[in-house]
Amino acid sequence: MAAYFENSTDDLVPNALAGFARAHADLVVHDVENGFLAARHTSPSRRVGLLSGGGSGHEPMHAGFVGAGMLDAACPGRVFASPHNRQVYKASLAVARDEGVLHIVKNYTGDRINFGIAAERLAHQDIPCARVLVDDDLASDSEDIAAGRRGTGGTVLLEKILGGAADTGLGLEELAGLGAALAGRCRTLSVASTAHTAPTTGRPAFELAAGELEYGVGIHGERADRTRKEGPVSALVREMTDALLAAVRPAPEEPVLALVNGLGAVTPLELYGIFGELGQVLDERGVHLARHLVGDYVTALDMRGFSLTLLVADSRTLGYYDAPVRTAALSW
Amino acid sequence: MATAFDSTFTNGWMDRFAASAHATETELTTLDQQVGDGDFGVNLSAGVRATQRLRSESDGNAAAGAAQDDPSAPLGSAASAFLDEIGGTSGPLFGLLFQALSAAVAAEGPLLTTTGLAAGTENGLAAIRRVGDAKPGDKTLVDALTPAAEALRAAPDGTPPDRALALAADAAWQGVRDTAALRARMGRASYVGERASGIPDPGAVGVALLFASAAGTIGSLGPHLRITG
Repeated sequence: MAAYFENSTDDLVPNALAGFARAHADLVVHDVENGFLAARHTSPSRRVGLLSGGGSGHEPMHAGFVGAGMLDAACPGRVFASPHNRQVYKASLAVARDEGVLHIVKNYTGDRINFGIAAERLAHQDIPCARVLVDDDLASDSEDIAAGRRGTGGTVLLEKILGGAADTGLGLEELAGLGAALAGRCRTLSVASTAHTAPTTGRPAFELAAGELEYGVGIHGERADRTRKEGPVSALVREMTDALLAAVRPAPEEPVLALVNGLGAVTPLELYGIFGELGQVLDERGVHLARHLVGDYVTALDMRGFSLTLLVADSRTLGYYDAPVRTAALSW
Repeated sequence: MATAFDSTFTNGWMDRFAASAHATETELTTLDQQVGDGDFGVNLSAGVRATQRLRSESDGNAAAGAAQDDPSAPLGSAASAFLDEIGGTSGPLFGLLFQALSAAVAAEGPLLTTTGLAAGTENGLAAIRRVGDAKPGDKTLVDALTPAAEALRAAPDGTPPDRALALAADAAWQGVRDTAALRARMGRASYVGERASGIPDPGAVGVALLFASAAGTIGSLGPHLRITG
């Protein structure tokens, strides 16, 4: 029996993309042949095209952030698989501006290689291309992990801020520098009480006993290095927030952006409760919570879990974040 | 007047490489099943097949009046085929090598020298290393491409390209043999640890086949070509 409502595992993603493009025809254009979604309207003041992408199964990321004030294009891969370099290359050609194109890449080997090959092809054609690597996952911050920290929820905040910055006409190197600085001051921590259902087997990606919690999961069902008792959510959020604060170390006056993100199967009821706890801990610690997002932004299919992201900003960053945006998943 | 690097050579090179890839598909698949995910032989075969298809399409265009006899065209077709149509990691990385070789031939045309060929190979190696982060010793195709590039660079000024390519092929094969003793740090082979010991890296074999094909082609064409130094 199929675990998902689909015709087959193979057409889950193509069908979703076709439907997404139709549902948001005012915002995006779907290039079926080359496998990317491009924004229908973007600011004429933009001198650099912004491009992201990665495996599917993380909706609304990536297509949900294509539109005015955010991404110029997104390249979706198959479920949890990197897009092909050809998709990234073709999309880059389509959205490059005078100053070229900026790739916003989450730190996974397949994404790095495929965006990297596309970048080499662009260089061969003398199209400027730079990369912002998002590696915000605190749980994979270990010298034992040669691949480095994974990229996860912080991607949304970076894409929004870089979109606002690109609309002011910043150049490629300025945007790449801003992105690197933002990534350096952004960390995320994810927990799950139930794994996602693997599309290929219809079974949970990993098994947890009742009342147990996986602390530090990835967005592809990668298990964490520890399992703990579930307990009340206030203690959990407190522990996670303190771990994040220890990593990003905001000064007392520095504005902090927070993302409370559902991983696919946590209810809004719970997410707002979690945000309430987060806000209380930040108040107690004297941290200036300047902006926040609460909802499902970077999911892991139907994983029952959530992530917390903190990004330390400044007034310029806040200005870029507050700039108008009109995408399927984020709009103001 | 024909020279070593006119389209007779590059067409012959790609034909010979295609034949080598088809002839060794089973062996490469067996190797990759032992150290990787088992798809390298299939991907290499698919890459050369797609290359042949693009080449015959561009021949059709040439017959219809487009540029003819461009020695970089067969390598450009290989670059497009491996970059656009082949999945996985190794296939597109071969595409980057073809892209750099194609650019080197296009820059010097039929007068390509050993120095130009060395530059193209080094540019391809540099691109592959930028993208994949592999170093020599990681048990990847870099372990065959690095000695090949070094052999071309070390060839004294004026070394005929046929001699230089023979040296590059020998160096690449030595690189392949050396990978057997290495423990993989990158790629799928890194997950099988000691179980990969004694087995050469299939991607490195693919690189050696490419240079051996070049050397064999130029060797067989030699009597008919004016070799430029």
